[in-house]
Amino acid sequence: MTLSFSAGTGSSGTAASNFFHLDPTSLSASRGDRVEAFLAAFAAILETSNYRFLLDLYARTSSKCGRCSVTCQVYQATGDWRDVPCYRTKLLLDVYRRYFTPAGSLQARFSRNGYLKESTLEEMAELFYRCNACRRCKLECPMGVDHALVTHLGRYILSEAGIAPKGLVVPVREQLDGLTGNTSAIPLPALLDNLEFLQEEVEEMKGAPVAFPVDQHGSDYIFFPAVSDYLMEADTLMGIAAVLKAAGVSWTIGSGYFDGINYGLFYNDWVLEKVIGKLVGETRRLNAGKILIGECGHASRSAKQYVPAFASEDSPPVVSILELTWQVIREGRVELDPTAIPERVTYHDPCNLARSGWLVEQPRQILHSFVKEFVEMQPHGSRNYCCGGGGGLVSLDETHKFRMQVSGRTKAEQIRTTGAEIVATPCANCKKQLRELMDYYQLPVQVVGVHDLILRAIKF
Amino acid sequence: MPTWLSISTSPLFRFALALLVLGLLRLALLSIWEMIQAVRRAGDRRIAFRRVVGETASWMVPLTRIHRARGLFSIASFILHLGILATCLFLGNHLDILQANFGVSWPALAKPVLDVLTLLGIAAGSYLLLFRIYVVSSRKLSNPMDYLLLVMILGLLVSGYLAGQPWNPIPYDGLMLFHALSGIVLLILIPFTKIAHCILYPLIRMGSEVAWHFPARGGSEAIEVLHGSEGREI
Repeated sequence: MTLSFSAGTGSSGTAASNFFHLDPTSLSASRGDRVEAFLAAFAAILETSNYRFLLDLYARTSSKCGRCSVTCQVYQATGDWRDVPCYRTKLLLDVYRRYFTPAGSLQARFSRNGYLKESTLEEMAELFYRCNACRRCKLECPMGVDHALVTHLGRYILSEAGIAPKGLVVPVREQLDGLTGNTSAIPLPALLDNLEFLQEEVEEMKGAPVAFPVDQHGSDYIFFPAVSDYLMEADTLMGIAAVLKAAGVSWTIGSGYFDGINYGLFYNDWVLEKVIGKLVGETRRLNAGKILIGECGHASRSAKQYVPAFASEDSPPVVSILELTWQVIREGRVELDPTAIPERVTYHDPCNLARSGWLVEQPRQILHSFVKEFVEMQPHGSRNYCCGGGGGLVSLDETHKFRMQVSGRTKAEQIRTTGAEIVATPCANCKKQLRELMDYYQLPVQVVGVHDLILRAIKF
Repeated sequence: MPTWLSISTSPLFRFALALLVLGLLRLALLSIWEMIQAVRRAGDRRIAFRRVVGETASWMVPLTRIHRARGLFSIASFILHLGILATCLFLGNHLDILQANFGVSWPALAKPVLDVLTLLGIAAGSYLLLFRIYVVSSRKLSNPMDYLLLVMILGLLVSGYLAGQPWNPIPYDGLMLFHALSGIVLLILIPFTKIAHCILYPLIRMGSEVAWHFPARGGSEAIEVLHGSEGREI
């Protein structure tokens, strides 16, 4: 897998140099600018974040037993020791020990081993972006080391040294600095046209007026889907709008900002923070009660976890559409036709929703309430396998072969074993990856969102 | 008095033990303090303490966590830990040394029980050593210290076991000198090596949880440190 990285936005390497235990200028002259930038970024991040104490803990205790290898789908597919999560973590811990601990400083006075090299940076860039950041390995680490958090940190440092995939950086640039303000570069007039079209479609399909309200001040919910859904997942959006209409929920889409995607969760805390700022800013502009996130794993997790963290104590509550839909079904506010879905259906758990146990039962309860034949993958729920596109990989076209042959192989086999005709999954990224997988392995399985099925079954 | 016995009551032994206790205490207090600071800095301070403590406790009995792909490895790891703890803390001779040095002691386990645990520990440790040597994914993760610590522990278990047997073919005093000296070296190494997990283990899983709780402006502050108030382009 060869990644396409963005042009450098590397740091000067001077401001945070006091964090080094050894003067960086005394290091090997053969080191390139990227090494300097990486170490400076590492130092700055340690100074301003909560990572340092954790790296200390991991560096002092990591036993490198390699048990994580038994749960990593990437390692299981390749058998390459470099794909063992522990090895990836070791790469960053070695740099930490060498440059940011007194023991490393002492070692440097006696040995030239352990200097960070360009080749190590390249290895990190490759390995950190082979990881799906699915956090499955954490389930099996006897020590409790969270390798996905180290992957996140590694990618963050790399990105501040100017090493980040174009497939993530370019959409984020458009989202935060571009004219359209969203990752799919959808201009507002096009969005409004699209909403009108969706409204007509769902009305034609269901015979009921289902609105996509825009800029309704004081609504109970402001809705942020993965913005790509407006281009790719019309049925998901229509299903959501139908549920909200049937249940009489007061909601709105904001014209000032309407993108739930937050690639910061994949590679950069600063980006994560800025995107959360836009989400909260639009919510406050429209005086909405709660943030409602559409069918998207990373968008849901990033908002749920980081709106309270970045937006002060009076931050708006964050709700997943799955929580809300299950609530209104349970309350009998939505009627679903139990004969509408005769096909055998299975459910894929997006890692960002299920790994922590947050949204495991709700989507299953929704499906059980109207799907005739439901079958589980094994394993599922919080122990699920990633689709293979997690950690932002699905957005990187250059990883297609890797995602098909390596990271997604286990998931394709899981789906094939169920004999299902439909895979439902509430995540834009998972849907894209699974469709490509079904195509690649020539499996006759339809990949849809949970609300796509609801759209077929809902009665007005 | 044989040399090995005089070592066991020497200032060197007391120094090693003091280094062990103070070193581990320092690590624990430092880690707890750093974690408290991290929680204070976090933008969202709601930490799922109860869940994490539950997970940590459940891993303390790893036999409930055996993975079928690593079954023997998991069992071996558990048995080795059991053998080490039992012989270190409940062997009559070790407790005599403790009594002689500090005037404290507690009931010992019966020698036949400890003999069995020691033999099981030796078998388990040998398996883990061979695993590290012969399984590529494990070998590539290992550095010299990973081997050294395992070899030292095996050496201690083997020498201690042999010394307690009437059929021991090795000269007793020499064997015990090796046992006492390598024991002292290991005590000194513990706070500086991964065996520090003997005290830090309960904090690691909690640390993993706390570290996901980022400071409210951590990202922006990193940019300011690197690029000044003007920031950088995306």
